[in-house]
Amino acid sequence: MKRAVGRSMARREDLRLLTGRGRYVADLRLSGMHQVAFVRSPYPHARIRSARVPNGMVCRAGDLEGVRPIAPRWDGEGFLRTEQPPLARDVVRYVGEPVAVAVAPTRYEAEDLAEQVQVEYEPLVPIHDVDVALSPGAPKLHADNVLYRRSHLHGDPEEVFRRAEVVVQTAIRSARCTAAPLEGRGVTAWYDGNTLWVWTNTQTPSLIRSALAQCLDLPETAVRVLVPDTGGAFGQKMHLYPEEIVVSWLALRLGVPVQWVEDRWENLLASTQAREERMEVELAARSDGRILALRVRIVGDVGAYHVFPTTAALEPLGAAQILPGPYDVPHYAYEVLAVATNKPPTGAYRGVGMTVGVLAMERAVDLLAARVGLDPVEVRRRNLIREGRFPYTSASGLVYDGGSFAEALERACALADYRRLRREQEEAKRQGKWMGIGIACYVEYTGLGSATFRRRGMVEVPGHEGAAIRVEPDGTIQVRVSFPHQGQGHETTLAQLVADAVGCPVERVRVERVDTGASPHGSGTFASRSSVAGAGAVLAAVEQVQQRARAVAAALLEASLEDVVWEGERFFVRGAPGRAVTFAEVAEAAYRVPGVRSVSPGLEAVAYFDPPPATFSNGVHVAVVEVDPETGLVRILGYFVAEDCGRIINPLVVRGQLCGAVAQGIGEALLEHAAYDDQGQPLATTFMDYLIPTVWEVPDSLEVVHLERPSERPGGFKGMGEGGAIGAPAALANAVADAVGAPVTCLPLTPELVLELVKQGRAAGDVDRASRPA
Amino acid sequence: MKPPTFDYYDPATLEEALELMERYGSEAKVLAGGQSLMPLLNLRLARPSVLVDLNRIPGMDGVGREDGWLRVGALARQWDVEHAPEVVRHLPVLRETLRFVAHPQIRMRGTVGGSIAHADPAAELPAVLVCLDGEVVAYRRGGMRIIAARELFVTYLTTSLEPTEILTEVRWPIPPAGTGCAFVELARRHGDYALVGVAALLRLAPDGSVVEGRIALAGCGPVPVRAREAEKTLLGARPSEELWEEVGRQAASAVDPPSDLHASSAYRRHVAAVLVARALQLACDRARGEEEG
Amino acid sequence: MRERVRTVRLSVNGKVYEVTVETRKTLADAIREDVGLTGTHLGCEHGVCGACTVLLDGRPVRSCLLLAVQAEGHEVTTVEALGTPEQLHPIQRAFWEHHGLQCGFCTPGILMSTVWFLQQNPRPSREEIREMLAGHLCRCTGYLQIVESIEAAARAFGEGTP
Repeated sequence: MKRAVGRSMARREDLRLLTGRGRYVADLRLSGMHQVAFVRSPYPHARIRSARVPNGMVCRAGDLEGVRPIAPRWDGEGFLRTEQPPLARDVVRYVGEPVAVAVAPTRYEAEDLAEQVQVEYEPLVPIHDVDVALSPGAPKLHADNVLYRRSHLHGDPEEVFRRAEVVVQTAIRSARCTAAPLEGRGVTAWYDGNTLWVWTNTQTPSLIRSALAQCLDLPETAVRVLVPDTGGAFGQKMHLYPEEIVVSWLALRLGVPVQWVEDRWENLLASTQAREERMEVELAARSDGRILALRVRIVGDVGAYHVFPTTAALEPLGAAQILPGPYDVPHYAYEVLAVATNKPPTGAYRGVGMTVGVLAMERAVDLLAARVGLDPVEVRRRNLIREGRFPYTSASGLVYDGGSFAEALERACALADYRRLRREQEEAKRQGKWMGIGIACYVEYTGLGSATFRRRGMVEVPGHEGAAIRVEPDGTIQVRVSFPHQGQGHETTLAQLVADAVGCPVERVRVERVDTGASPHGSGTFASRSSVAGAGAVLAAVEQVQQRARAVAAALLEASLEDVVWEGERFFVRGAPGRAVTFAEVAEAAYRVPGVRSVSPGLEAVAYFDPPPATFSNGVHVAVVEVDPETGLVRILGYFVAEDCGRIINPLVVRGQLCGAVAQGIGEALLEHAAYDDQGQPLATTFMDYLIPTVWEVPDSLEVVHLERPSERPGGFKGMGEGGAIGAPAALANAVADAVGAPVTCLPLTPELVLELVKQGRAAGDVDRASRPA
Repeated sequence: MKPPTFDYYDPATLEEALELMERYGSEAKVLAGGQSLMPLLNLRLARPSVLVDLNRIPGMDGVGREDGWLRVGALARQWDVEHAPEVVRHLPVLRETLRFVAHPQIRMRGTVGGSIAHADPAAELPAVLVCLDGEVVAYRRGGMRIIAARELFVTYLTTSLEPTEILTEVRWPIPPAGTGCAFVELARRHGDYALVGVAALLRLAPDGSVVEGRIALAGCGPVPVRAREAEKTLLGARPSEELWEEVGRQAASAVDPPSDLHASSAYRRHVAAVLVARALQLACDRARGEEEG
Repeated sequence: MRERVRTVRLSVNGKVYEVTVETRKTLADAIREDVGLTGTHLGCEHGVCGACTVLLDGRPVRSCLLLAVQAEGHEVTTVEALGTPEQLHPIQRAFWEHHGLQCGFCTPGILMSTVWFLQQNPRPSREEIREMLAGHLCRCTGYLQIVESIEAAARAFGEGTP
């Protein structure tokens, strides 16, 4: 039979999603169900004086007696624990923080009721950015405003900097962004007197079940988390949210099904945001462009609280750890601060840590190229880690298991025809056009195991995934996994894996949605882990099933186990191909034929996989832009990607992941900004102001080459969900800097900002715009 | 994000609608295409106690030409206006402008009249109406009047329509032969409200000099703004890139655009100068018949 | 006639539903809650994202920006009127084969716009497809495979596939 892995198979889940039969959390209807609307703080920082509550079902913090706050743990120095009550009790710390909840038969009426809740606030001084938070005498949002601090020293960077021939430095600011999945969050909960059923579109059902049980003081067996079809997540839906706790509590308390569906305003106001970092980067190098040392300080504006399970350390620490990237950096020092402000908590968003770390490093590398008079490609070539050096321990302590860093650069340049692009750029310049070419090289940590989470201190994430496989009497195969999907295509790609392992058609395999009452335990879907940690669990479970199937076949064929040969869907006796049984016959026998049920009936297995620390994907992006020097508008002329994400299960799906992630990176580079004014008020709470790309803002073509260097994980797979979003902001920042001849130091590159850069470039570069890149 | 309660009326005749407006005045809001009002209702930023829906009133969606005017009924959908043969033939700048208004799916329902009456200063259509010296027809119970565009826009989201009046028609003068019109804009994202939009009209004498020039800017103040001083500079001048740039600078220096998340006042002013020059060049090409429009 | 609650006859996908709704209720909510067809999704409720797009008398409109009562006397078409899993509509088939969707949340709206679009423009250019598609936000796909799906659907129609 033709192998399924590696084939561009149309997805099986699409049949329901295309015909309007998908069931998302807002589509669930239970009889007697009530709807919920939250009363949210209009102040970034205020004391709650009193509240007048109208007639009707309205609850405040005082009603949630005994409900525990969100207070994730961390193992290690420098961490300050925070507590967020599901409904603010005395103090509100960001605009949009839930203060009270209203319940009514319809959402319309619930909103009417919520409007009538009159809360009296005493405004406190808002902390709208990290400068204010760190200034002497600033109000303290918790015991301190620094929620996490860590420094790291590898080698002797101070000494290297003192003696270095070349030092370049830059300060980079990334803008606060948000994932903005097209479907917001949502929870439907119902307590039947025995079980609390919670349908929530989470990425981490096992973790949410444990957390809900803890917060509500229930045994874990009494909480059942079910994940319906989910309309995108990108990290935002991996956290425990106040609304999940409150809606579950309401279901316990009211005895009727309760539903809350986040609307867009709430999503942009109160779901986790991401990315807001200030980074100072210094590179010491030899005059031939060889990097000797790196010094970095990162201050993250992490919002008001730690989020469960990742905490606020996630983004700034991740950035610092990935900063050396694919380059051989002998000496490294970093300092990381996660600083609380009166904004929504920050959490995971596709590319977490890596996107901003790569942005900072790739800007610095371009500055180095300009300083030493090398082409940006050449300076990278001289610093990339060569293949003979794997496994390579980076200066931040990450162990790169393998990769194709140098080859990816050459392949990307060939794909883009880099030399031709440079010639076109010269020609464009003669015609008065401002064209720029930007390169970004990155590594992407994927498929993290428990060792990595422990080492970081992230103790709320276990690190393993689980899979349960059951072959039914008719030979069809049911797969249950611990990691739900939000559009990645697991129902197809996991079926491809299983089908190949068993030798059956993909149609015979069914991948179920996650239900903690039936699915095995695991960490969830995030950080590009499904094709590594998840696939590892699936393949381990398949192997156990295979062993048992072989035993059943041996019993049926009355042969010894060693003599049973399994080919495709048949088992036969070695040397006697006529003595054969089919897989379906084996399945049926496992349940129904007493003679073969020697151990126990059935054909099923549960397996877990805790991957080694991490496996690294890598890639190179080349972006080509044109800047309108009169308006600062940026147009993307071309986009090229060379990516090594190991062995590919389904090329169609991989291409989709890449295109989507690049589009998000484009948004982050050019458009998106969850902006706040200096009073801590949000400025982008609709899709009119939080600008995610439309089809016009993404290039009409995306040329991709895959290197497919297999990893040492089961199947040779690596993760690949984030690469596009990791490379794009850096590549575009470098391209714009190249076009205008001035350094890019912050995102997003609004027309106004780019026009400012054009002026700088004109002032500096009238001399010679050829001495690019900036 | 669900609308607050309101009393809903969907009268079958204009007379009934006008009676309702007379009765409820400023408590009432008129609903036409709803593409601006409905988002405000969903966000509970608009809270009219009465909604008067015009959509059941027949005969208000016509597009026709009469005495040198293009008449667009209040309920004519933007998509239909954009594709009406009269518009394509006689007022192509209106088609050009409409293609900047949001997206086809919005223009299917959104009306030209509604966009004018909504009076968002960053919207495209009000600027073009002001540039062309158009008019609107307003009815109240027992009477009607015609309001010139220059007297229509009062301030941000506010027109000189009385609370008892309903806009029934927008009238666009068809420029004489030898005139070129253009609309250009800059938005951060395709289909969004413009950071700055510019409508320009240029008529050339047989000797090539400018006999009439008009410029209107969107996104540059509380109402769409005519650049009257700059227009004077155009009179009698010979078209040239330098002239357009000079006029652009003049027009931009006369406006005081707002600052917001997407751009500062200074940036908008800069872009206004650039876009005025571009719009004039385009209008000039068209006046010379070098380009359709 | 003044009311806050009204009984209306909604014609959805060729079937008439008599529903009693608050006059403030949006068409999208009425389709989802009162008619019971949940294929129409709400992504922003202020007209930007396009997930809730349905056809009103054959033309694509935002059902979050219409009141349910306004749809009386008009024909509403939703994604449920296209194909079934067993027999996909050619546009659905093209999206399926070309991976024109990931999470599927924005997809029904895009399908409805595409139905209208290809009816009035059976041989669209890529540019025209992009112009139509700009009225829809998708956060998953980066749009490329959606454009390719629509091109494929146009080809399928051109070749006379049903």
